Amino acid sequence: MDLLHNNPMLQGVRQMMHAYAKSTIRPIAAQHDQEESMPWELMKSASMMGMSQTALLDTNKGALGQAGAGEVSDDKPKTMGRLQIVAAEELAWGCAGISLALAGSGLACTPVARMGTEEQKAHFREAMKGVDDKGHVKVAAMALSEPSTGSDISGLATSARKDGDHYVLNGHKQWITNGQSAAVYVVWAQTDATLGRAGVRGFLVTRDLVGLVPGRKEVKLGIRASETAQVHFEDCRVHESMMLGHKQPSAGLGDTKKMLDSTRPVVGIQAVGIARAAYEFLLERIRGWELHGTPMAGHQHIAFQLAEMEMEIEASRHLCHRAAWMADHRLENVKMASMAKAHAARTAEMVTSKAMAMLGEEALQAGHPVEKWYRDAKIFDIFEGTGQIQRRIIAKQATGLNAT
Amino acid sequence: MNFAMTEEQALLTATLRRFTEKELRTWAPEADRQAQAPEQLFSKGGDLGLFVDAVPEDQGGLLDGRFEHLSRALRGLELGRGCAALASLLECNVEPALAIARWGSPALQSELFALMAEGALIATAHDSEGRLRIEASERVQVSGSLSAIPAGAKASHLLLLTDELVALVPASAARIEAVETSGWRAGAWASWSFDDHSLPAEHILARGPAAREAREQILSWANISLAARALGVATAAIEYATAYAQERHQFGQAIADFESIIRLRDKNETAIRAARLLVLEAASLADRDDPTAVDHASRARDLAGDIVTRATIDAVQIYGGYGFVNDYPVEKLMRDARAFEVLHGNAAFQRVLMRRQGDN
Ligand SMILES: Cc1cc2nc3c(=O)[nH]c(=O)nc-3n(C[C@H](O)[C@H](O)[C@H](O)COP(=O)(O)OP(=O)(O)OC[C@H]3O[C@@H](n4cnc5c(N)ncnc54)[C@H](O)[C@@H]3O)c2cc1C
Repeated sequence: MDLLHNNPMLQGVRQMMHAYAKSTIRPIAAQHDQEESMPWELMKSASMMGMSQTALLDTNKGALGQAGAGEVSDDKPKTMGRLQIVAAEELAWGCAGISLALAGSGLACTPVARMGTEEQKAHFREAMKGVDDKGHVKVAAMALSEPSTGSDISGLATSARKDGDHYVLNGHKQWITNGQSAAVYVVWAQTDATLGRAGVRGFLVTRDLVGLVPGRKEVKLGIRASETAQVHFEDCRVHESMMLGHKQPSAGLGDTKKMLDSTRPVVGIQAVGIARAAYEFLLERIRGWELHGTPMAGHQHIAFQLAEMEMEIEASRHLCHRAAWMADHRLENVKMASMAKAHAARTAEMVTSKAMAMLGEEALQAGHPVEKWYRDAKIFDIFEGTGQIQRRIIAKQATGLNAT
Repeated sequence: MNFAMTEEQALLTATLRRFTEKELRTWAPEADRQAQAPEQLFSKGGDLGLFVDAVPEDQGGLLDGRFEHLSRALRGLELGRGCAALASLLECNVEPALAIARWGSPALQSELFALMAEGALIATAHDSEGRLRIEASERVQVSGSLSAIPAGAKASHLLLLTDELVALVPASAARIEAVETSGWRAGAWASWSFDDHSLPAEHILARGPAAREAREQILSWANISLAARALGVATAAIEYATAYAQERHQFGQAIADFESIIRLRDKNETAIRAARLLVLEAASLADRDDPTAVDHASRARDLAGDIVTRATIDAVQIYGGYGFVNDYPVEKLMRDARAFEVLHGNAAFQRVLMRRQGDN
């Protein structure tokens, strides 16, 4: 059975996204990597094509705006999860940094879509309209991690103190995607330390609020076309109506964790996209490569490594599709999502690493596509839950214990 | 058998360790960002005698008696801990000096040793993929291009190793273009291209079967040093990661105390220690002219190349998000790791091919 289940919509999206990645993303990937710059021009044209940064908010549409239309009533299986998967693999095949620049606002849309009130959704949409003072399309940021708090989000130090009908935010956020440029931030903060995890809530903070201070941009190993920055909150007053869910009861951190679970297959498939890119590049090179008059591909030393790569890529892709399929069918997929993400991250590391070794000296040069993919791949074992955290989740599902 | 260092070796190690910790590690981040070695590297390296320690004493160098690959391996372990790129510049003169002393004519020796005594660098390149065309009729002519040679942008000459030829080519004979690399960024990489350059006879060290033998020797010296430096980088990665893991707390405890992190470090440490023994043995065999030194050296580089890749990836992993950003030392190490495996050709593949041909 084909992974796309003979679904013409998924197949269409794959074709469309592949063509886009090939003709539009690939040609500028090296430049944005070298310059460590966001692909603003591309982001503008993408948003005009309907690859909207806020489409996730529209539950009747997929991540790709109109492409997902046709989603029907709630009791039928959806295709949105798989649709995202199919699109994300192709975009990351083009460039994982650019793909995060294009889709990074989705990290902030997800909690708004899941936990936000209608008013908050409207507020978010409004903030994302038009262009900013540099003429750039608007982007959003999801600010959870802090300098001392990455894997263990229960230790959040950013506080939200109630003051009349406002909350006053204080604290620092670390490694925030779109952290410097965002028009709107979803910020997690502790509203009441005595409540512990239940006291953690998300806040919608628009850029114009006093006390929101975008910080320094990081110089990174990979995915350099995506901006990562610190964000500071210094007595930043946010109206209580901008607390996600507002007066509705909240599961605090529990909600946040669910949100992270739901994005894992999409993160995993991007690693698959990188691995596939490197594999295809290598295969192409090896096909035309002769060593002392014999084809390189005739050497088992080479050929079996190719086989290994293809096995792992295929296995990773299946896991990601399976996890997304389960979500589309409203089946509990926490374990599958973690397995998909962790396995795909490993695969991307292995494939890009071996590809560099096989290509030899040429791949040492800065900006060589495989060298770049090697650098890009590493983040997939770190963000959205490290490889260790995924294994902790998988093992806990099996044993019921949090192993240390 | 005695695994202890001699007094001299212990002193050497201690001196270089200080140099690594005080100087190399201080220079490394900026050298990486600027893709340029600091000037002090050359004065300090000169003070330490690193550029001429394989040049005979009576020719302006420091070598009194036999060059010791074992000491060089010990030094590589330390320099690699400091910075792979800077270490590659400090080490680049050894193969050329030894090759010139062994196969060069007296005229070539006095010409090049004099240059080296004045501070010249000589790079080494192996045409492992057969990119060059060598024509040998009346004169030997070289054409074609080699893409990425460390120290190539600063070198007065290139020690060129091919299937048919071992020769020294002056920079004036080539079109040299600086190459930007992802790792070893301060390593002064360059591509060298030749348009039918005729080599003067005195610049040719060996031809035909003799060249293949000389190449094998030279590569074995390089393999030992590369392996040692690779393990230096791996050691640094795990040292940094260990220190960081002890400081970093998540879930109410130091991450160093999670068993998966303990095991991650432990596996790397075991691998580094085992590979260190193999490198030192290869070096000791080379010092005794044992014919198996070549094979040991190749295996040592193969293993060390794998280990440094693994160790640096794992170090970034242990640093988490901080590992991915340039303010912390380990993302550089992950980039620096990759040259060791492929420089002068992939050692693992070379051995596979040799065995297939029944050479071994
Ligand atoms: C490029 C980039 C973009 C990012 N974008 C965002 C963003 O948009 N928004 C946001 O909020 N965050 C973002 N992050 C932060 C990211 O989610 C964190 O870096 C990640 O969760 C890991 O946290 P940490 O870096 O604090 O590592 P730590 O949690 O300190 O982990 C360090 C090491 O310890 C291990 N470890 C931790 N706990 C355990 C355990 N219980 N058992 C075994 N091992 C353990 C980890 O696996 C890791 O190897 C981004 C990070 C990067 C690098």
